[in-house]
Formats: sequence, C-alpha cells, structure tokens
Amino acid sequence: MAETKKYWKGIEELTNSETMEKLRANEFGEVSTEDFLGDKEKLSESSTTRRDFLKYMGFSTAAATLAACEAPIVESIPYVVTPEEVIPGIPDFYATSFYDGHDYASIIVKTREGRPIKVENNTEAGINGGANARVHASVLNLYDATRLQQPMINGEKAAWSDLDAALGKELAAANGKQVVFLTSTVLSPTTKKLIKAFGAQYANFKHVSFDPFSYSGKLDAIAAAKGKRALPMYKFQHADVIVGVGADFLGDWIGQGVSADYASRRKPGKKMSRHIQFEANMSLTGASADKRHKIRASEMGATLVGLHNEIAALKGAAKLAGGASNAQVKAAAKELVKAGSKALVVSGSNSADIEAVTISINDLLGNGGTTIDYTTRTYFRQGDDKAMTALIADMNSGKVGALLIDNLNPAYVLAGNTKFAKGMEKVGTTVYFSEKNDETAQLCKYVCAKHNYLESWGDAKPADGIYSLQQPVIRPLFDTRQMEGCLLKWMGGTQNYYDYLTANWNTGILGGTRWDKALHDGVYTSTLGTMVVAETPEEPGFIERIFGTEEAEETNNTAYSASAAAGRLVSIKPKDFDLSFYRKAGMGVGNLANNPWLQELPDPITRVTWDNYLTISAADALELGLKNWTESNGALDGDRVNLKANGRMLENVPVLIQPGQAKGTLGLAVGYGRKGAGKVANGVGVNAYAVMDGTHEITGATISKVEEGYHEFACSQLAHTMMGRKIVNETSLDTYLNGDPAKWNEKMFFETHKGPLSAEETNLWDDFDHQTGHMWNMSIDLNLCNGCGACVIACHSENNVPVVGKEEMRINRNMHWLRIDRYYSSDMTEEKAEEEGVGVIDKFDQMEDPSANPEVVFQPVMCQHCNHAPCETVCPVAATTHSSEGLNHMTYNRCIGTRYCANNCPYKVRRFNWFQYSENPGRFGLNYSMNDDLGRMVLNPDVTVRARGVMEKCSMCIQRTQAGKLAAKRKGEPLKDGAIKTACQQACDTGAIVFGDVNNTDSQVFALKQDKRMYHLLEEVGTQPSVFYQTKVRNRA
Amino acid sequence: MHYEAPVREPLIIGDKSYHDITVDVAKPVETFAPKSWWVVFTLSLIAFLWGVGCILYTIGTGIGVWGLNNTVDWAWDITNFVWWVGIGHAGTLISAVLLLFRQKWRMSINRSAEAMTIFSVIQAALFPGIHMGRIWLAYFVFPIPNQFGSLWVNFNSPLLWDVFAISTYFTVSVVFWYVGLIPDFAMIRDRAIRPVTKHIYRILSFGWGGKAKQWQRFEEVSLVLAGLATPLVLSVHTIVSMDFATSVIPGWHTTIFPPYFVAGAIFSGFAMVQTLLIIVRKMFKMEDYITIQHIEMMNIIIMLTGSIVGIAYITELFIAWYSGVEYEQYAFLNRATGPYWWAYWSMMTCNVFSPQFMWFKKLRTSLVFTFIISIVVNIGMWFERFVIIVTSLHRDYLPSSWSMFSPTFVDIGIFIGTIGFFFVLFLLYARTFPVIAQAELKTILKSSGENYKKLQESNEHGH
Repeated sequence: MAETKKYWKGIEELTNSETMEKLRANEFGEVSTEDFLGDKEKLSESSTTRRDFLKYMGFSTAAATLAACEAPIVESIPYVVTPEEVIPGIPDFYATSFYDGHDYASIIVKTREGRPIKVENNTEAGINGGANARVHASVLNLYDATRLQQPMINGEKAAWSDLDAALGKELAAANGKQVVFLTSTVLSPTTKKLIKAFGAQYANFKHVSFDPFSYSGKLDAIAAAKGKRALPMYKFQHADVIVGVGADFLGDWIGQGVSADYASRRKPGKKMSRHIQFEANMSLTGASADKRHKIRASEMGATLVGLHNEIAALKGAAKLAGGASNAQVKAAAKELVKAGSKALVVSGSNSADIEAVTISINDLLGNGGTTIDYTTRTYFRQGDDKAMTALIADMNSGKVGALLIDNLNPAYVLAGNTKFAKGMEKVGTTVYFSEKNDETAQLCKYVCAKHNYLESWGDAKPADGIYSLQQPVIRPLFDTRQMEGCLLKWMGGTQNYYDYLTANWNTGILGGTRWDKALHDGVYTSTLGTMVVAETPEEPGFIERIFGTEEAEETNNTAYSASAAAGRLVSIKPKDFDLSFYRKAGMGVGNLANNPWLQELPDPITRVTWDNYLTISAADALELGLKNWTESNGALDGDRVNLKANGRMLENVPVLIQPGQAKGTLGLAVGYGRKGAGKVANGVGVNAYAVMDGTHEITGATISKVEEGYHEFACSQLAHTMMGRKIVNETSLDTYLNGDPAKWNEKMFFETHKGPLSAEETNLWDDFDHQTGHMWNMSIDLNLCNGCGACVIACHSENNVPVVGKEEMRINRNMHWLRIDRYYSSDMTEEKAEEEGVGVIDKFDQMEDPSANPEVVFQPVMCQHCNHAPCETVCPVAATTHSSEGLNHMTYNRCIGTRYCANNCPYKVRRFNWFQYSENPGRFGLNYSMNDDLGRMVLNPDVTVRARGVMEKCSMCIQRTQAGKLAAKRKGEPLKDGAIKTACQQACDTGAIVFGDVNNTDSQVFALKQDKRMYHLLEEVGTQPSVFYQTKVRNRA
Repeated sequence: MHYEAPVREPLIIGDKSYHDITVDVAKPVETFAPKSWWVVFTLSLIAFLWGVGCILYTIGTGIGVWGLNNTVDWAWDITNFVWWVGIGHAGTLISAVLLLFRQKWRMSINRSAEAMTIFSVIQAALFPGIHMGRIWLAYFVFPIPNQFGSLWVNFNSPLLWDVFAISTYFTVSVVFWYVGLIPDFAMIRDRAIRPVTKHIYRILSFGWGGKAKQWQRFEEVSLVLAGLATPLVLSVHTIVSMDFATSVIPGWHTTIFPPYFVAGAIFSGFAMVQTLLIIVRKMFKMEDYITIQHIEMMNIIIMLTGSIVGIAYITELFIAWYSGVEYEQYAFLNRATGPYWWAYWSMMTCNVFSPQFMWFKKLRTSLVFTFIISIVVNIGMWFERFVIIVTSLHRDYLPSSWSMFSPTFVDIGIFIGTIGFFFVLFLLYARTFPVIAQAELKTILKSSGENYKKLQESNEHGH
C-alpha cells in the first residue's frame, strides 16, 4: 500500500509557506559583489586583507600537501613494565668474565637500554683484567645473525624437547661404550664439577681437554719438574732482566695477561727492566724488546741449552751436553746471572723438552717465588694432546659411543688430521655445543645452540685463589641454551644452572662472602687459599702416562729430565725451512673469526688486514724469487707459494716479506681459512691448522712458488720506516738518565723578530684563552705501548666506526679513528749518509728499506686535536671547529665533504665516508654492526652513525667527556682527575694512554706534560696539538 | 682615423670590404654545417653524455667510485678543476688586458677566446660541485641566511674564496662577452631571412640600432668591463693557487704559487686558444682574419709564459733546498725521483722544454707545429696540476700514511665528459654565434687591412 509522506526541512517550511516560497525561488541566491566589495570603508576596516587571504590559502595548501606526505614510521615499543635498573640514556655496567676456550678476561660490560654495547677492562681483577683486542670485540659476536638460533638434529632445525628426548635415548644406549666429553681447557670449577656429575651416570666416561694452540708439552714438563700439571704464575713486574725465547708473551702466549705487569717495569728510570728476545718470527714481544736476536725456530732448544750452559758456567753449576752458544747468548747469560733471582727466562713452545730446559735455567737462576711462582698456578691451559690422540684412536676403533664437544671446534683445529673426521663417523652419538653452524657442527648429529657468553651464567678460576663470575647481561636472543643447562636437563634434575652455580659458590668458594658482592665485583679473591671443594682433583697417574712408571720416581730430579731433554733438543737438525705457527692479535686461534672488527684490525706488525700469509725473510724471498709489490693505486700484492709441512700441502699461500724474520724460517698465523664461521670469516686466508700437528714450530717445511696469479693483500701501511724523520722520538736509557734532554728530546725553535721562539710560542694570531675551564690533553707513552690493538677495537666499539671490507682496506680507505703506526729502523740514517757521503737520492732510497733485524716502534695516532688546527681554517662551511676546551670538533650535519681538511691534516687522521657504510647491506653486508637489524644493536646510541659524504675523526670520546662533566655537575663537585676516560685509555691495560685536564695541575696528564720525555708530533708544523707523546726509551746495554 | 705604421704587418689579409667581413663572419651561421662539424659534434656529445653518466653514478653511489683514498683526498677532480680554470684565463686576458693595451690584433680572436673562457669555466665549476661528498648541500658554501640559524661560512677558507672568485669571474666574463656580441647579433638579425631566426637574434641583440649614442655607450661599457675584468685575470688563479699555498702540506705551502699559477694559466689558456683557432680558422675558412701573425703573437706569449713557469719550477726546487725543511726537500725530491717521476718529467718536458722551440721563427709560424705544441702544452699543464696535487699529498709528513693514487674509470670518464661538454658548447657556439667580433674588426679594416695598407703605402710613395 502506497503511502504519501510529507517531509519538511523545518518548522518554517511546514507552517510559513510564504517565506519558504521566497527562499525556494532563490535557492542559489547570489550576494552581489557590490555588497561584498563595494563598501570600501567596511573593506578597509576588515583585518583580513587580500594578502592575508593569499597567505592563508598558501598556508593551507602547503599544510594539506605536507599532511598528505607519509611520515616514516619508526617502530619503537615502550616498556610495558620498566625494568628497575634501566633508565633510557643512562648506561648500566655489569662485571662478568669472558672465556671462549682460549682467551680469558675479567671484564665490565656496558649496557644501554638492556643491550650490551661495549666491553671494558675490569680494573679490580687480580689477573687478566686487561682484555685484549679480541675480548673487546667479542660484544659484536653476540649480534651475529649467523649464530645458531635453535638446536639442530642432523642439520635440520629442531625443537629442544625433541632433541632432549632423542638424545636422552641415545646417550642411555651409548652407556656400554665410552662416553667422552671433549672440551678445550675448562676454567670453570662449577662446570668441571657438573661435568663430573654428568659423567658419573655413565660407566665409561672420560673428559678430554684439548687446546687448539696447545701447551700440553709445556704442562707435561712442568708436571715432571714441579709435581703439578699446571702453569706457574709469571711475575714480570718483579723481573729486572727478561729473556724470551720464542715466547710472544705480550701477544698471545699461555693465556696469562702479563702486559700490564711487564709494562710496570718499562717506564724509563733506574728500575726499568731489560728485555732480550730470541725469536724467529717478528712478534709483538720481539718488537718491544730492548734487544732482539733472530734465531731459527729449530734452534730454540739449542739456544736454551747454550744459555743454560753459559749460566751454569758463570754459576759453577753442571752443564748440559751440547748447545749452541755465541756472543749474544753469552751476553744474555751474563745479564741474567747478574739479576739473579730477579731474572726471568720464558719460552714459548709446545715442546716438553724446551720447557724442561727453561725450568732448569730458571732454577739455576733461583727465581722461583720471585719472578715465577710455582705455588700459585694459573689454569688457562690444561689441554692434553696425548689424551686427544688416544681419543682419536678410540674413536676410530669404534670404542666411543657418544662424544660431546664444547668450546672447541675440532673439525677446524684438527683440519690436518684426517683421522679425526674419519673417527667422527664411527662415533655413535655426536653432540656439539656451539654458537655457530661451523665445521664441527656439520659433522655432528646433535647441535645444541649455545648462549653467547653475554647470555650465560658461569664462573672461572683462572689462578689459585682467584675466581671470577660470569653473568648474563641480556636475555638470550635466540632459542638457545648454555651447555651447563643442557647437562643439568639431561641429568634429569629440575635445577637450573644459576641455582647450581650459586649453590656451588656458596658452599665451596665464597666462604662467607656475599654472593651479591662477588657478582657485583665480578671477581673474588679466595681467602681460603688453595682449599677448593668444587674443583676436580687432577687425574692421578698422568705423570706415569708420560714418562712411564719407572721414571715417575725420578721426575723430581730436574737435572735428569733437563739433560735428557737437552740431548733431544741439540740433536734437532734444521732442514729446509722452519715453520712457526703464531696467533695474530686480531684473530687468536680463530674463535671469534666472524667478527668484522677483528678481521679489519691491522696486524700490529705487518699492518695487513683480512688475511693470513707466510712471513718470510727478505734474503730467502730474494733467493726464491718471491716478491711483494704495490699496484699503481697503492694496493699491496704478493706472490703465492705451495707450502709443504708435516707431509701435508697447503696451496696458494700468499707470501709477505717480513723484516726481522730469521733467515730460513717462515711464520704462519692460525685462525684463518674458515669454512663454517659465517659470511665475514669464510674464505679469508688459509687454514694453518691443516699443516699443523700440535707443535708450534717444525722444521723441514718446503715452499715452491706458484707461477700463475698473485695474491691481493689489504695492507694499511705501505712505508716501513720513518725516513729519518723525528716521528717517534727514541733514545737509550743511558742517554735518558745521564744525557741532556735538550739534546735527546730537542725542541724546535724559530727565528722571529722577538728572538728564537718555540713552536708553541710562535703565533700569527692572537691566541685564545686556554687557561679558563678545562683543557683536555692526552699523553701517549711510547714506552708502554706494545701495539696490541685493544685500543683500536675499543674505539670502534665506542664510536661506531664502520668496517669497510677487504677491497676498500686494500686501497687505503680504512675508517679507523685510531691507528697504531709501526715503523722499522733502517740501516741508512742521516748520520751514516753524511759520513759515507751517500747522495741524497740514494739516501732516501735506502732509507725506505728496513734493516734485516730492525728495531720496531709503535705509535698510536688519532686526531691530535691541534689548537692551531690546519683542518679548521680550510673548511669552507666551518664544519670543523675548535672548542674552548682544546678539542677539535666535527659537525657532521654541516659537512659537505670537500675533504680539504683531510688533505691539510699533517697527521692524516681524518676519515671520509666514501660510501654509505651503514644500512647499505648490498655493498657493505659484511659490516653487520651497521647493516642488519641485529648487528645494529651493538651501536653506541651516544654517537652518530655517519652518513655518506661526510668527514669523521677521533672526537676524544666527546660523549664521555660530556657525561663526566654532567655527572660532576650533578654532584656539585669539581671534576676529579681520572673520572673521564676515553675508550682507548680504558682499553689500554699498560696505561700508555692518559687523558685529562691540563688546567688541573694535580692531574696525571699535567704531570706528564711536564715530563722531560714529552714531545709533540710534528711540533715544527706549529699545530700545537692537544695530544703529546712520551719519548721511547730503549734499555740498550 | 688611427694611423698605423706601414712596417706593421696587416691584420686582415686580402682585398676586403666591410661587406666582405660581414659575409665571411655570418657565413657559418647562415649555412648548413659541414660534415666534419657533425662528426666532431657527435663524438663530443657522446663523450659528454658518458661524463654525465659518470657524474650521476658518483652522486648516486659516493665519491668512493673515484680512486681517492685517506691520504690522497683530491686528485683528478681538483686537477681538472684547476686545469679548466687555467684554460679560461686566455679569453679574458685577450679581450680585457689587450683591449686596455690597445692591442688591435686581439680583435679577430677575442670572441672565440672568450667563448672558450666561458665554456672552460663552466667545466671548471662542475668540479668543486661534484667533488663534494654531499653535493645536495652545496648551497652551504654560499653566505646565505639558512634554516640552521646564524650558521655562517668560514671566510678563512680558500675554498670559500674560490666560490667568490670563480662566480665573479664567470659573471663578468659572460657580461663582457655578451656586450661585445650585441652589434654582431644585430648584424645577423639584419641579414636573417627566416622569421624564427630573425626573431631569436632580435631578442639576442637587445634592439641594437647602430646609432652613434649606442656605439658610444658600447665603447664605454666595454672599457669599464675591461677594467673590471683585468684584475680578475690575476685574482682568479691567485685565489685558486691559495687553495694550495695556504695549506701546511709540503709542496703546497709555497708563496710563489700566485704568480706561478697565473703565468701557468695564461700559458695553458693561450695554448687552448691556439688549438681551437687553428681548427676554426680551417673549418670556417677564416685564414684572412686569423692570420699567421696572430698565431705567431700567441706563440710568443706561450713561449714567454712557459719560460716563467719553468723559472717557477726551478725556484721551487731551489727554495726547497734553501729552506732546509726536510719535508719540503723530500717532497720535491720525491716529485722528481719518486713513484710519480713520470708525471713530473712529462710536466717538465711539455711545459718547459717544448715552448722553447718557439724561439725559431720558422717553427712559431708553422701551423702544424703550433698545433702540436698547443696540445703538448695543455697535456703538460694538466700534469702540472696532477704533480702538485697528487705527488704532494701521497707522501707528506708521516710515512705511515703514505699512499698512491690511481684513477678509476669514473675519474677518467668525468674528465673526458668535460672535454666533450666543452666541445659541444664550442661547436654549437661556432655555428650560431659570430665567431669573430666583426663590428670591432671593421674599425681597423682601414688602418690594418692589407689592401688599405697597400693603398696607404702607394699614397705615401705618391707624395
């Protein structure tokens, strides 16, 4: 039914049709323009003018346009419940320990908003409080996206529950056969206890320790001589005379960090120690030595025997048979005897014989208790090569039912041992605890994805009476478990490892000290002496295993074993080449290989990055026609050789000519040639382990030149020498003590109309006031710097320094804010040229060549923060300017990248962003600290990540300076000296770098500035740097 | 009318009337281009486009695509910059300085010389722009109020002086050139048949009517602009040299640089003028206007400035030794005997030895020889800048930072691109602009034209 409805718009429409009618007729009623604009008076009264109208319209159009643009969305999720300790913008520091099976350090971890971003030294640690470059870089490995993110079974991703179930059955089934737990040295007393408890479930359980760079022989010899298979504590701080024979104790030795102790006696003065080094490879230690002698690696034993005999002759003690002696050995012996119990002889080898003779020498010197403490032991190396050999034999004979591997990558470090890989196939159950899907993981059935050390609980007992704790500083990033957690789970208990650890500490270690206190400090020195409940006692009978039961009685007789050892040593005949394996400052044994910071850290000696290579002497290279050359763009190339050693072949090994390398010897660094470490490390260098057989040096290696092709190096320093310039000022101790500083540390004077003025007083301009407020200066002591590179890594980590990759490094585009220049001495000097009348062209030509056995100096160079900065005047846009506190600032936002500043920098410390290094994964994917979401977590939020096209350089850690000033201001007290430490200074465990305010006359840096050793680099250029150096003093005899 | 001694060689050869000059000058504009023009133009255009590609690649990817490194932060970019600026010097020198000195022989070459100046300054000005890491912020170098508040440029920086020097030079040169072009454009306008052409030249000639008042103003403006441009000839390269001279780098930090650079700039500028004019003369049959005498005059200038440059090189060496500064001594020794010895000796051979041949009249009046030398000189002058920039930087104070430089394809591509761009501009100019300042030239026809000189001579003898 249709219904007509009447709608009306308003009551007017319903009722008053007349008005409506009018309105309807004029629906679009016009207002005449006359009404609108005609009334001039009204119009002029209006506050809205035509111009205003246009303005409003313009604004609304612009606003509408802008509003239409999509703003980038930054996803940040606020805390739902804020953790108590986390205050955005304020870092938290936690004490923990680093241990990866090779390096141990007690450290402080800096976290920001819950992310660990930096490793710092724990200055309270009794031992190894100075972390090396690797430990400083280790924080980046936490954020490695190629870490295992969940467990795997047979190479397939699996769930923990499945793994637990399957493995539980297999382990139970394996019980009839051997169940072996294979690790590198276990430093943790609690882990040891746990492994023992785990092993107790099985009838035939064995725990085998094996170190990748083993000191098993050394341990055996110490065991034989001193009764306990553990390393003594070396006390370099008490040594007046140190003789090192092939021991790279400043680089990488037996795990004990001795550089700070060593450095404590290297300050010039009457108490400065004297250090003589005999070695084949040019090591960091040899570089720091007062006198370095080249010997073949195979002559190490004979030299030690010779040294022993010379000392014996002086002391009237019994000699050993044979031995090589010469004037150098005689002189060393004389000095050692003179120092008596304050002398120290150290050797570096895996040979028990060498250690036996070394012990005998030290006993002759009577230094037990002063420079070597055999009663306080260190436990950094406990591996047993013989046990490993036995294990491999057992594996091959099918006796091993289950093999659990932790903290060791045997498939990589035993790459040359084909028996290991074969044996793995015969082991019933293989379990691998690993952070990476690496070489060994590929051979194992069960791969238990492991926590990073920064996600784990743990402890360590690095030395008698010294303990340290490891605590997680971040929640596990992935579905991982720590090894101890797995064991506890598989043992069927419900206890987690934290409870297990605290229980063990509270009952066995702490002795009444509060756990919280120990955890806070990270380190704990036991008052219970050597009484340790938790520790596994040494396996009985191992001495018998080495020397046989009959000889065991006689092991206390040092002379006997030493003479037997000497007999074997002197019979070693050098054949072909001696090959010494060594560990680089950046790579160690290769555990952290997938770390771009470490790959790009220049080797302190060769300054080569992203590589290992065979070091060879110039004389041998000449004989064999092996060359290094530079391309037109300055990139270093070299010939390649096929290396034959231990009956195995390593092909296409690049050759690098190394000044100071003994003739007839070769050096090769381990830790490279990875296949399963991740995209950064894979394919970099060659795997030295493939030709290594446990011993650190062998004789009888041969090389043959590969005729086709050549190798491309990425070397960050082309020039070897200082070209006769005063860059590193150097003098001898005698001159330092007795000479006139004006002569050995000559200051430059300029003739002016006011008479001769020093570089600091010569000025074209009116100077600024540098006396008010702070004036930051930095002192770098060249005597204390040993070139280790920890500061460089610390700087990377603090300042978000990009990694550029091998190709860019090759053409001198490193981004390092801090570099350590290395110079060799040359046979040609200004004086010699003058004496012999050598022409100027020949002089400079010969100056470029280093000596065959050069003296080496290291010089850390960062922005010198010149008070008359050449960079500041030339920047057209004033992007680099000076602060009133003596610092040279860089304003990234303002920089347009003309690079004039870098050209005009006499120190060449400025670094240009040639490309977009961050968030450019296509080109710089290896630099994962800036190019993937996980890696970027390591970035320090206080420091800008620089964009392409801007210049950057050392800021003297301005963010730290500002934070320190603010903290002092908040407290309302003057800034204390030492309250602000730059990253490089914090990382330097020898104290070579001191930063502070020279306007504070009580400060350490003020005192150092007054030191007679103080000099400014390139003082004569008149830059008036804020950084100064302390003259290098060598204790020449 | 100005009287010219009969011993002076005539500047215009042949039996020319005013109309003949008009026809000769207007001919390239009014006729179709010969095949050779098209060939050269195509090649130049390809080179130019290749350069554009390389520049875009650089801007898109980063300066890292060049061969620079931490030690050598400038190389081909600034070498090319200085080289092109140097080339740009001859034009202004010819048109302004020679005008003030009343050198009439300049009249038949100043138009092209100044065109060359402008085109090469355009090439030069590219480099300070594209060598920046962040070219999109290039406006930071201008002292303009900006959104960052009172952030101001650094007036201490020679790079900033460059900005002013180059932009001033470019502006004054363009204005000077254009003023001279007005009567000539008017001439082409008057002769043009096609309406479009006529219209374009009408706009370009600013309504020139050839009235006496206009001529008077024309002369006055020319003189004023010449006066303005003359100091610029000296200032531009002086300031460019200060990019180096005010630094602390051994080999750069040299007080001799300003005069040395100016001499070098005139040297290379004249060489480039020779190269171009010998081609133009041939291509457009301008032999009657650009005579052997012109070529010879310029060769003498090349010889003179080449010798000044040579003295500067030797003075540098002497001062390095005399100063006793070890870094300076090494820098110069390294130039001559170090890894870049070939660049140094190329420079020496091309710049110091080769112009000495001009002492021989036979050689300096030989077109072929002049052409070769003009190319050699420009190669030498490019090497001079390369030597100054790269060999000083690559081994400065600290041997630890010593390095080498090698160009990438992008470096080379951009350089070739600018040469292409330069020729594209010059070739377009040669077909659309009157290449000879005919209005000016006509003023000397009766005093320096061959036929008039002969007439005058016969009159004198007739007395």
